[in-house]
Amino acid sequence: MIDRLRDLDDRRVAFAGGIRNKWDDVPKPVKAVVVVALVALLFYLPFLNILPFAQIRTDLDSGGSDWGGVLFTITIFAIIAVGLNVVIGLCGLLDLGYVGFFALGAYTMALFGSPTSPVTEYIRNRFDLSDTWAVTWAALIPLAMVLTMVSGVILGAPTLRLRGDYLALVTMGFGEIIRIVARNSEWTGGPQGVSSIPKPPGPMDSNGREFFNVLDVYRFYWLALVFLIILIFAVRRLEHSRVGRAWMAIREDEDAAAIMGVPTFTFKLWAFAIGAALGGVSGALFASRQGFIDPGTFDLQLSFLFVAMVVIGGSGNMAGAIVGAFLLTYLPERFREIEEWRNVAFGIALVTVMILRPQGLVPNRRRARELKDRAAEPVEAAGGEGSFS
Amino acid sequence: MRRNTRLGLGAAAISIALAVSACGTTDDGDDDKAGGGGGGDCSGTIGLMGALSGSNASVVTPSRDGAKLAVKQFLAENEDCDITLTEFDTEGDPAKATPLANQIATNEDFIGIIGGAFSGETRAMKPIFQEAGVVMISQSATATDLTQVDQVDVFHRVVGYDDVQGAAIANYLEGSGATKVFVVDDSTTYGEPLATKVKSDLGDLVVDSDKTQEGQTDFAAVVSKIESAAPDAVFYAGYAAEAGPFLKQLRDAGVEAEFVGGDGLYGSDFPTAAGPNSEGAVVTCPCLPADQAEGNFAEDFEAEYGTAPGAYAAEGYDAANIFLQGFKEGNNTREKMLDWVNNYTGSGITKDYEFDENGDVALDKVVIWAYEIKDGALTPKEELSAE
Amino acid sequence: MDLNSLLDHTVDGLTKGSIYALVALGYTLVYGVLKLINFAHSEVFMVGIWSVLGVYTALGITGASGFGALAVALVLGSVAAVLASAGTALAIERIAYRPLRKKNAPALIYLITSIGCSLVLVETFGFVLRQFFGPPFGRALVSIPTVISYDTLFTIGDVKISNIQVIIIVSALVMMIALDQFVNRSRLGRGVRAVAQDPDTAALMGVNKDRIIMLVFVLGGAMAGVAALLHTLRFGAAKFDIGFLIGVKAFTAAVLGGIGNLRGALVGGLLLGVAETFSSSLISSNWEDVTAFVVLIIILMFRPTGLLGESLGKARA
Repeated sequence: MIDRLRDLDDRRVAFAGGIRNKWDDVPKPVKAVVVVALVALLFYLPFLNILPFAQIRTDLDSGGSDWGGVLFTITIFAIIAVGLNVVIGLCGLLDLGYVGFFALGAYTMALFGSPTSPVTEYIRNRFDLSDTWAVTWAALIPLAMVLTMVSGVILGAPTLRLRGDYLALVTMGFGEIIRIVARNSEWTGGPQGVSSIPKPPGPMDSNGREFFNVLDVYRFYWLALVFLIILIFAVRRLEHSRVGRAWMAIREDEDAAAIMGVPTFTFKLWAFAIGAALGGVSGALFASRQGFIDPGTFDLQLSFLFVAMVVIGGSGNMAGAIVGAFLLTYLPERFREIEEWRNVAFGIALVTVMILRPQGLVPNRRRARELKDRAAEPVEAAGGEGSFS
Repeated sequence: MRRNTRLGLGAAAISIALAVSACGTTDDGDDDKAGGGGGGDCSGTIGLMGALSGSNASVVTPSRDGAKLAVKQFLAENEDCDITLTEFDTEGDPAKATPLANQIATNEDFIGIIGGAFSGETRAMKPIFQEAGVVMISQSATATDLTQVDQVDVFHRVVGYDDVQGAAIANYLEGSGATKVFVVDDSTTYGEPLATKVKSDLGDLVVDSDKTQEGQTDFAAVVSKIESAAPDAVFYAGYAAEAGPFLKQLRDAGVEAEFVGGDGLYGSDFPTAAGPNSEGAVVTCPCLPADQAEGNFAEDFEAEYGTAPGAYAAEGYDAANIFLQGFKEGNNTREKMLDWVNNYTGSGITKDYEFDENGDVALDKVVIWAYEIKDGALTPKEELSAE
Repeated sequence: MDLNSLLDHTVDGLTKGSIYALVALGYTLVYGVLKLINFAHSEVFMVGIWSVLGVYTALGITGASGFGALAVALVLGSVAAVLASAGTALAIERIAYRPLRKKNAPALIYLITSIGCSLVLVETFGFVLRQFFGPPFGRALVSIPTVISYDTLFTIGDVKISNIQVIIIVSALVMMIALDQFVNRSRLGRGVRAVAQDPDTAALMGVNKDRIIMLVFVLGGAMAGVAALLHTLRFGAAKFDIGFLIGVKAFTAAVLGGIGNLRGALVGGLLLGVAETFSSSLISSNWEDVTAFVVLIIILMFRPTGLLGESLGKARA
């Protein structure tokens, strides 16, 4: 039975690989056209009403979630997946506290942007500003990125020297500490959270409402999509640069990389910081759309969900991570009947994928190779079929 | 050559499919979604949001049942009306409530909401419903700031708020002769302000205070602090899910002090979880004992559901009725219903209603009752006053 | 803080810490032998608690049952907890970890798999079983009848020491000593230490690696089962996610004492319990959980080998 599954999976991989090879062969201008068409399709998605394609929508019945909202959530989680992929997939560091960066980004947007937050009130009193002053929206995204990057460095500096599993636990601890501090402290708004988080500025639309409002969530989706595309490009550039190659060397064998002269610690820190920044952007967008955040949202379960997205999708492969984000966010929404089963499904999916296909659904070819080599080691060392079992 | 043919065929197939499908589009027009048949003005949908499952469900399900009963009775008497009550389970969690609120707000069929049941989720939902113009009538969200600090036009509630409840609790504790009171809150957006109010009203009577958190099961630290302070009474501002084990561990540790809790503890799970040593514990609530409600509410409820009405059941009934009467008068759009509720005057089974400009009921109409655990169930003890 | 509070908090902390120590043994054993952090161990503990509840329910025990019935229930409950926990641990090993061992998977994969196992178990008790059997499974907290009622055993000064506190601390010590003796004196114990030190050499010397690994999981699970029973004596509640926090703290305790070191697990557990109790009385209770995380981070950063530092494999005089 498992062999049959493996067979099917191998055929799927061959098929996908075939497509990938063909794609590599296609000339550049054609590639550009296809990519533009794909992006246009993505922007069009909220309005997709043509059956049977519209079956992918989640709001076909009145119990379903708003389609624009679901698309938005998928997109910001895709940003997270891309960021976490840099940390786990490219660099091989297991971060179980990624939700902490998500929370930091959200709280930055909230605490500095909301006119009712304790932080803006403090700044107002200190500098004698007007009663409704708060940091402008446009400045908040870079601010979120900077603050999360700094916190990534602060978190990474003492801990990145630890070996894999210890790092995982420490990051998990940090994630929880951030949540508990946010919950217990006055200046973060306490368990009540922060409300009146601003939306991005925009013109008035035809209904007399602000462009970014609660009802037309698909506009937030567009905004997030723009960020996602920019960030994908940025990370791709990194991946194919010296930095990316250093990361892969570190992931494959850190000691060998160090011997070859790669400053492993610095690059690990970079991976952490960049991953953190992406988490921060995603969090800030999330907070802006919600208009209200509370510390309970940023729990450990979410961290595990993020890790699951990257690992099941295919760690080391940005497309894989995005696929993971899409599957794990979209499926429970589309098939609401199974939503309660979502967590069990995650758990089973994690275990199954790790045992059968640890490189993920859409793997990084190099990573798949690495795992295969490792699996062959004990057999080779024993000079043939294993004699232990 | 062969590759191109396959590609070409594939492209052709896709374009044919697209062309064919253009003949069908999703019907999200107004036909079946217009709240039940184009006929009549007396039609619409209201939503009910609250913790219908999870560890605090017993605090909310009675009011849901009360509302359902109201709808059922109304539809039996007014057969040409077509009104639906749709339930949404938020588990009392603002994070879950927000997307549900978005969902409701963007669906034009929903004319009004009964909810939120808990203060935290209500706070999260208010701005969303305000922006969409959906009327809210809450049957149990008692945090003071919901109407006194952050007023929005759409929010109303049929119960008194925590400043009043807190004052009543302080009066009760003083009246019971306690000279040392230990106050605990659960660090939530409901428990913390309530505890603060009680503490400030009790003044010097407060010997010490502490905080717990949601989901906590191990209360040894608080219990130990209470033991050292040796108070006459312990007041807990929080929810039933934590209060149960807390009281159990308190009694298991041998602490005999009187135990008083706020309305978040009023759920049928609380006495069970608190164990046999919880007899005599007191829970306050800005809700009327169901057998004191007008008419045959208690009997009807028991006949329908097989159990006696619980917390806020009658208030849920009243909230639903305000909407139902609005529908009867032909208010089947969000603007009309908002107007109707804002200007509503009438009698419910628990009190007379006339919402002030903040959405609260008149202060002199607010009732606060103390209930105590007798034989494992919460029974009415006495009415409290906030003076 | 006066002397009485000091003593009171210390005893409380030791009680709490004893439970952490027993659970920590599971983490430390598995890590010592396999170099693997068994995330799912917290759920092994949780299963133990539910099995105690199951036994009590099956016997129809309530707080008012007669002494004989309670005694029987206690014994059966203990047995059930130990068997259930050990069984769960073993099942996890067979189903999830063994295939990975065969493939020589990197540590990252193990970790993620263990998270997956943990999720499955949590959701099974929090949701899946409810679908088939209804309550008491589900998200709500379930009360467990009090089998030993609280009684002050003796007092030191003004501080009352209760029977439950004594039972817990003594039981933990007894189990600890028993395990220690087993690992250091018995043949199988020698096998455990051998595999922990060098699995390949151990295999060459005739030790059946797979059997030893199964034994290690069973031992850790059994300890967790005892901890579960003690926990029900103290708190009388079962919840689907009760394992998580205890698991994290127990793991912290194991690391604090020196992961892979059995005595370290005891020391770490007791220390952590006391530290938590003091911190929550000095600050307030809702910062209690942060203590564990902060301790974890500090230890991992400044002394990752832990207080007692040695590992299971090293020979100890």
